[in-house]
This record gives sequence, C-alpha cells and structure tokens, in this order.
Amino acid sequence: MSLLKEALQRLFRKPVTLKYPFEKRPVPEGFRGRPVWDMRKCIGCGLCSNVCPSGAIEMVGKGLQSEIKHYVDRCMFCSQCVESCPRNAIKMTQEYELAGFDRSKMLYEYKREI
Amino acid sequence: MTTETFLIILQILVFPGAFFLFALAFLYEWVDRKVLARIQSRYGPLYTGPSGILQPLADFLKLLSKEDIVPMAADKILFTLAPVFYAVLPLTSLFIVPVASQKSLVMFEGDLIFVMFTSALMILTVFIAGYSSTSRFSLIGGVRAALQMIGFEIPISLAMIGPAIAAGSLSISNIVQWQQTSLQWTVWLQPIGFAVFVVCSLAEMEFVPFDIPEAETEIVAGWRTEFSGRKLALLRLGRDLELVLASALLTSLYLAGPQQVWLIPPVVTFMIKTAFVVLMFSLLRAIFARFRIDQMVSGMWKYLVPLAILQVILIQLGIGR
Amino acid sequence: MRKVRYGSIIKVPFGPQHPALKEPENFMFEIDGDIVVGVHPRIGYNHRGIEKAFERRTYLQNIYLAERICGICSDAHTTCYTQAIENLLGVEAPPRARYIRVIIAELERIHSHGLWVGIAAHEIGFDTLFMYVWRDREVVMDLFETLSGNRVHYAMNTIGGVRRDIPADTVPKIKHGMDFLEKRLKYYLNVVQNEQTILKRTSGVGILKPKDAVELCAVGPTLRASGVKNDVRVDDPYAAYDEIPFNVVTHDGCDVLSRIIVRCEEMLESINIIRYALDHMPEGMIRVRVPMAVPPGETVSRVEAPRGELIHYAKSNGTTKPERYKVRSPTLGNIPALCKMLMGAHIADIPIVLAGIDPCFACMDRMTFIDDKTNKKWVWTMQQLRRKTRK
Repeated sequence: MSLLKEALQRLFRKPVTLKYPFEKRPVPEGFRGRPVWDMRKCIGCGLCSNVCPSGAIEMVGKGLQSEIKHYVDRCMFCSQCVESCPRNAIKMTQEYELAGFDRSKMLYEYKREI
Repeated sequence: MTTETFLIILQILVFPGAFFLFALAFLYEWVDRKVLARIQSRYGPLYTGPSGILQPLADFLKLLSKEDIVPMAADKILFTLAPVFYAVLPLTSLFIVPVASQKSLVMFEGDLIFVMFTSALMILTVFIAGYSSTSRFSLIGGVRAALQMIGFEIPISLAMIGPAIAAGSLSISNIVQWQQTSLQWTVWLQPIGFAVFVVCSLAEMEFVPFDIPEAETEIVAGWRTEFSGRKLALLRLGRDLELVLASALLTSLYLAGPQQVWLIPPVVTFMIKTAFVVLMFSLLRAIFARFRIDQMVSGMWKYLVPLAILQVILIQLGIGR
Repeated sequence: MRKVRYGSIIKVPFGPQHPALKEPENFMFEIDGDIVVGVHPRIGYNHRGIEKAFERRTYLQNIYLAERICGICSDAHTTCYTQAIENLLGVEAPPRARYIRVIIAELERIHSHGLWVGIAAHEIGFDTLFMYVWRDREVVMDLFETLSGNRVHYAMNTIGGVRRDIPADTVPKIKHGMDFLEKRLKYYLNVVQNEQTILKRTSGVGILKPKDAVELCAVGPTLRASGVKNDVRVDDPYAAYDEIPFNVVTHDGCDVLSRIIVRCEEMLESINIIRYALDHMPEGMIRVRVPMAVPPGETVSRVEAPRGELIHYAKSNGTTKPERYKVRSPTLGNIPALCKMLMGAHIADIPIVLAGIDPCFACMDRMTFIDDKTNKKWVWTMQQLRRKTRK
C-alpha cells in the first residue's frame, strides 16, 4: 500500500505522456540528426565516405567534380563524418523523422553547382 | 403479441437487459483503463470517440473481424463453447441483479445462491478453456484459476451471505429493498464483509494482485493464450461483464443498489455507485505486485476466511444487522 | 532439493518468444508440479557475428560497432573498446576526458539500473511502479540527449579521449537532474523495502549463496547482492575512478530483493560520483590525436558495466584493422549462476529470477560454432559451457 498516496496524487494530475505525432518535444542543441553537406565547402577528399562505419556515404567522381550520395537508411547518426571532415562541410541537422516505406526515397544526393 | 410480452422482451434485450449491459461493460472497461492510465501518468485510450470512450467497442469489433484460429490439438467443441459460456454466464447473473429499479428483471427467493453458482461455473469455464486448448501455458493458467477459486470461493460466499442474514432473505432484490427501507447501507454495518468481498472480487476478475491465471510475464496469457479472433472478443466481453457484475453485486449487497434520490432515477444512482466501485478496483489493481499462487491461496485461507467467518459470527451476535 | 514429487515432469519453454524475455533466448524448464527441477538454456538466438565484423572495419569505425553490441550499456562497451586500443597504442586519454568518461558511465549506470528496476517491477506484475520508474528515468535520457546528441547511442568515447566536452552551462542542469533523481530513488527504495506484495515476491527468491556466486563466476550486482565485494572500478581502476571516492554497495540477502536494493543504492552512489566528478573535473583538452594503424600486440581491457564485469580482448597486427576481437559480456558470466538460482524455484518466480541478473542477450550472444568442413553449426549447451568456465 506504500504507493497509494502517489497513485492518488497522480490520478488528478496531467499525464506526462507526450502525444507524439501531434506535439513534438524540441530537440536540444547539438542533437545528431540527418547530416547535410555543404557542397560549396566540400573539396571531395572522400574522408567522410572512408570513415563511415555503416557505408552510408558514397562518393561519385573525384575531387572537385565529385558528388555525394547519402543513404539515410544506412546512416546511424554517429557524426564521425562531421568530425573527420577537414573543411567543416558537413553539419548534423535537427531532423529526425526519417522513417519510411521506400528505401529509394531515403537517398539524399548532393551535387555541385557549376 | 400483447404489449406486456413486448415490453418484457424489450426489457430483456434493450433496457435494462442485454444491450444496456453490453454498453455498460464497454463503458466500465474504458473507465478502468482510463483510471489505471491516469494513475500511471499515462493518457489511456484517447482517439476513438471523445477521450477514447469508444476504444473498448472498437477493440471488440476489431477482434471480431480477425482470423479465428483453433489449435490442431485442441478439443474443438470445448474450445469453441468455453468463450460463449464465459460471456453468457455473467450476463445471466446480471439479469438477477437489480439495475434500473429495486427489482431485478428476474427475481426469485434464493437467486443469491444462483449468482454464487454461476460465479463458480465461470471459473470452471476458465479451467475448461485452459484444458481444452492443450497448450502448456493455457494448462498452467487453467489449473491456477481453479486453484485460485479454492482460495476465494469460500470467503466470497460468506461475504455474500452476510447481507442476506441481515436482510433475512436470499434474494438480491429483497436485500436491496431491505437496505432502502431500513435506511442503512450494509457497508456501514458490515465493513469486514465489504473488504473481504472487494478482495475476492479482485481475485474473481483476475486483477492484480490476483492476475495469477493470466500472469503475462510468467505464462504468456495464461488460460487465454490460444484464443484469437471472435473467441478472444467474447472472452474480453465476458471479462468486462464480469467487472460490471462484480461492481453491481457490491453495489446491491453493500451499497443499497439502485436508489431513487429526489428526481434522479435509480439507474443513475446505480451507475454512480458502480462507477465508484470500478474506480476503487482500478486503484487497488494499480498499487500491488502480483502474488504467487501458493501465497494467494494460503493468504486467503489464513486471513480472509477467518475474517469472513468472524463477520458472520458478529452478525449472528446482533452486530451489523 | 525437495522430496515430494508429482510424478510427471513437464517441459515448459521460455522463449525464444516470451513476454518475460525482452530478447530472443530459449530456456527449457523441467517442471515438477510447480517447481523447477531442470534448466536448459540455449543461447545463440541473437548472434549477429559482431566479432567477425570487428575484423572487417577500421579501429575508428569499430567504436561505433562496439557501441552497438548492446543498446543499454553502449557506453561501457565503447569505454572498454577504446581502452583496449589505447593500451595497444600506448596513449592515455587526457584527465578531463577520463572524468567525462566517468560521468557518462555513471549516468549510464543510473539509466540501466533504472530500466532494470522497472522491468523487475513489471515481471512481478507491478506495472505502476514500472511506469513511475521509467518516467523518472527520462531525466537521464534527456541529459544524455543534451550532452551527447542522442538518447541511447551516446558515441562519446573515441580512441584517445572523448568527442564532446561537457560545457560549463550544462553542469547545473546535470546537478539539478541528479537532485531530482536522488529524491525519487530514495522514495522507490522505500517503496521496495516496505511494499508487502513486493517483499512477498522477492525476498527469499532466487537464492545465490556467496560461495556459489564465486564458484559460478557471477559478476556485477548479482555478485554484490550475494555479499561479495567485487567491483572493477575499485579492483582495477580505469578512467578516473582511482581519484574519486565511492563505496561499493553490497547486500547479504542473496535473493532478488537484495539485488533490487543493491541496484537502487548503486544508483544513489552513482549520483554522488557524478556530483564529485563534476566538481573536480580538471580543465584541459579532451582528446589526443592517434594514428590510424595500431602496432602489433594483444591486450585485455576490463570495465564495470552496469551489469557487471565486461572484458574486451583485442589482437592487432600492425594494420588499421584488428586481427581478432573478443567480447565477454557480463550476462554470459551470470548464466551459470542463473541456472543455480532457478533450480527449485516456482514457475511464477522464473521471470523475476531470470530478470534478476539483468540479462542482456544482445550483449551475450556471440557464441556459435561452425565446423567449416561439414558446415555444421551448433551452440554450446550449458554443461559444455560450465566445463569450459571451470577450466
């Protein structure tokens, strides 16, 4: 019976559950969401695709002509690519609702503007 | 067909008969789920109907449309019949309990004994359900249910007899009438009997701390492991009706049943009282851990049976009547 | 054990799919009446080939692989991994990094033990306590999100230090969270010790005598609940544990109740450690640069994970990838002791005793044997495992 008091108090208080898809909790500063590439800064060194533990980053082409393909379905948001990037071209955003039914839609391509 | 027979049929089928009782069963399942959720800092059912009030009905309908699987090794006839009995038995008992007025739909001298009998039959149905599905978990669940009955059947019967002795009648309607005419609720006269009844009702409905026959983490879903689709829907309905039955019995035997208070019709007082009882059940099931079967049975015999007997002795001595 | 027998023994399977086990693992129980007379665990359902995967990835990538051995003790695994590789490289993490490792490890201990207390309450049917504990555990999860950017896989450790600093403005936040948790934990400790139904279900259940605990190589809170003072943090200090004063919580009840109490008190102790570490954290850099390739050698690293002693073994060959990597998780160490506890238990006590060691099968399952000639696969039985552990 030692929980009775707390139980009675809780009965008349607002639940703590967040009605998730309708209300969202703001994510904190420094949250590791979907990484994005800034192709103006990218020098195409390929380090990000080399260090990626889950093979989520693919380099197409070489050097300054390269493109980056990011397969977000493989990404595990460790942010090692952000850390390894010598030009700080990669940033982790606060985007986290990335689930879906179609893998082909989970490919983010980063092309250079010529 | 005369109007009178028509009225009786209407009473049995719609109000205060089957339809009303089904509605009440779903309503109380919702109340129970909602209160339990609130205690646990959750919302409970939320989106089906206002505040999720239609969720139990939606669950029921969904289960009706699901695939109905009968295990190969199961005893087909018993396996099919058990859920039907499980839903019908509390419904039958509810016809005897006064709902809309002081008098119930069906009343005869000794109908209290009939209610006791059906509640024993319910557990027998549970046992048969567990036995017929031939699963190891179901079997253990069924045996546990039968064992549990050995624990709570005696005290609950004694607790039912208490008000009957006080009122001098074995009919539930008469007990309700006696309470209302003598202007006293049995709960004030026989508090021990009331407490015993509440605890035993928890066991009868398989609520925590007595949800031993269907202990989820131990034996999956206990005796109802193998049931699915329509049969599971019936089992859920039966369980909800059991909740209504237990609260209605408590209300009739100890809280003076449906009462006409000023302009409020008896059925409303009945619903307020039963809802209060359901709330109490939900609160109680939230604040305990589950007992083990041997602890439950020995606890029942060590504490509840002597208490129930003490209550009867006190009544015989003239205290509480 | 017991004299009366009911004749027939029925076999009741627990798992691989069972509500009491949150992860796939199979235990075949021989039940006589209501009493367990035989236990046959069959491990290996959760085998993911992680150790082989270690050999295919670079040391840097392996940090994240090590993290994913287990979701609950993800920091313990990375700490152990990075320590092993730091040993091989001959570098040491800077002092501030070592303090941050302690803070994260202790936060993880709180979150893991909190999770366990909730699970234990659920196993004995006390769902309200389960909801309350998990609700309050959210505080730690939110702190993790603020500190590391993720609720579960913190990815704080890297070879040669930690990846993120704890900025000065989050320190009061952590302290505030700790104050709240301390209050709540004391309340739950009180509930556990006074609620009659909990006492009925846990005291005297799943007895593991100190002698058996040592003989069967139990680890972590399971061992400490049998009154044996054993903690890697004290016996073989790593990170900054040698500079932080703290008590090793033991309890001599030897049953499930004392396992709950030990874990609750360990959480309180963790709160004190975090407070101390926050106050005494030295300034300075948080990581040192390390080369990609690791010189040849082999090493063993030990960490006190929330569930007990975690051992990582690494063998390097001078390249950027390890030659062999081996993980011995605490759950594996506790399985023989678990079988001992379960003998003679009631069916109803199986879930709580099973949960009592805080099993993490995702951590444990890395044991499948494949004969490459016949392509036959098999898993060790308990007897073989016991024989092996005795050797």
